[in-house]
Amino acid sequence: MSDTAPLIKIEGLHKSYGGVVQVLQGLDIEMTAGDRVVIIGPSGGGKSTLLRVLMGLEQIDRGSITFGGNPYISAKSGKTAIDAKVRRSIGMVFQHYTLFPHLDVIGNLILAPTKVRGEKKADARERAMALLTRFGLAQKANAYPAQLSGGQKQRVAIARALMLDPKLMLFDEVTSALDPELVAEVEQVILQLAHQQMPMVIVTHDMWFARNIASRVIFCAGGVVVEDGPPEQVLGSPKEERTREFIERVFHIKH
Amino acid sequence: MTFNFAVVFKFQDALLLGLLTTLKLTLICIVLGCALGFFLALARTSKSAILRGVSSIYVEFFRGTPVLVQLFWVFFCLPLVLGVELSNLASGVIALTLYMGAITSETFRASLKSVGQEQLDACVALGLSPWARTMNVVLPQAVLRAAPTLLSNCVSLFKESALVSAVGMADLMFVGQNISNNTARPVEVLTVVALIYFVIAFPLTRAVTVIEHRILKRLAV
Ligand SMILES: Nc1ncnc2c1ncn2[C@@H]1O[C@H](COP(=O)(O)OP(=O)(O)O)[C@@H](O)[C@H]1O
Ligand SMILES: [Mg+2]
Repeated sequence: MSDTAPLIKIEGLHKSYGGVVQVLQGLDIEMTAGDRVVIIGPSGGGKSTLLRVLMGLEQIDRGSITFGGNPYISAKSGKTAIDAKVRRSIGMVFQHYTLFPHLDVIGNLILAPTKVRGEKKADARERAMALLTRFGLAQKANAYPAQLSGGQKQRVAIARALMLDPKLMLFDEVTSALDPELVAEVEQVILQLAHQQMPMVIVTHDMWFARNIASRVIFCAGGVVVEDGPPEQVLGSPKEERTREFIERVFHIKH
Repeated sequence: MTFNFAVVFKFQDALLLGLLTTLKLTLICIVLGCALGFFLALARTSKSAILRGVSSIYVEFFRGTPVLVQLFWVFFCLPLVLGVELSNLASGVIALTLYMGAITSETFRASLKSVGQEQLDACVALGLSPWARTMNVVLPQAVLRAAPTLLSNCVSLFKESALVSAVGMADLMFVGQNISNNTARPVEVLTVVALIYFVIAFPLTRAVTVIEHRILKRLAV
């Protein structure tokens, strides 16, 4: 896929919960395979909802999304429009790790490849060990999630998503639940992926991380895109008043 | 009155056979009853109102009637209704499985609730099919969480199984009653029978506490 053709194209996305709480109100976003999009915005602004929609975890009210030029989600054809094959090429990491507590680390990694793709257990284990080694977790292969630190859990969760060779990774505040001293080890892993040109959408409140990983920063508020541009511009000299206020308040940066 | 426990030892082979029948019946009904209970629990939490209704009525009915009545019904009425002969073992298995299914479904229902939405979201994000999700994520976690209570359910079943003696199944209780009638030594024989039940049930009830502690530690994430 070329770096300029849209990987994801979101048009007029509307989403409410129970028809009452209007969360997304006509969102338009286009991203290419070369993009690493960081989404910032006020809490409750619908950032998680957007990622959950992309992952196929939520139904939408209006609008459409294409993936790699193919229809993916469309409000007109309802829930069935979600293309399972496309969904399988998207990986997501959640704020609260959501590892399977009854499986050890290796078990967490090989469950989906063996069940979804019918990969042989031995092959999946081999790939899993390679990934764990890369993430500095080889000695933890047989540990259970309850025996891991938050940072280790989150790295395992990232490795688990990568086992399915995703074409796009979604990270929803993956360091927000971590003790401060554990944040760096998780961000390093994501930066490593960025260097390997993995397309990603990241929701974060970490300014340093946003600056270092983003090719684009999108400021979302009130269910729409308020500002969208390169990190230096959106974080450094925002055009919109609302963006400026938010950045000053959250990142304590005065312009 | 003097007690002579040596009497009982003459009948140890018969008692052992009775115990084996009790254990066989209990184990079969544990396996079948737990499977039934798990799917009943899924039905009770399903989106379909029909599944929910049918399974609720079933569970409430079996929890709300004496096991002895259920047992008599399966032994004497079910063959008439179905028009087939049922062996003693088959009737016992059916009756106690239906009972075990009802009580374990309550246990599973509570543990299913504790498998959170986040776990299910993770399954969707990993592309697991609903079947793979149920069998590989929901079931094992529900079983783990339910294990201590399930073990208690198993002990209850083991003890309740003595009721099958009332319909003539040659279990431990039935054998014990026979021996006590024939020897006119009810105190010795029935005390030994009670001790045999206790020696098996007691370690299991103790194990419940230990297992509970371990599982809570494992699942604390
Ligand atoms: N399952 C849900 N049911 C009802 N309301 C929800 C649900 N999930 C989120 N919301 C509401 O939608 C709004 C957006 O939430 P969210 O997408 O989590 O925002 P963010 O991630 O930007 O903080 C919030 O007001 C939140 O309370
Ligand atoms: Mg959020």
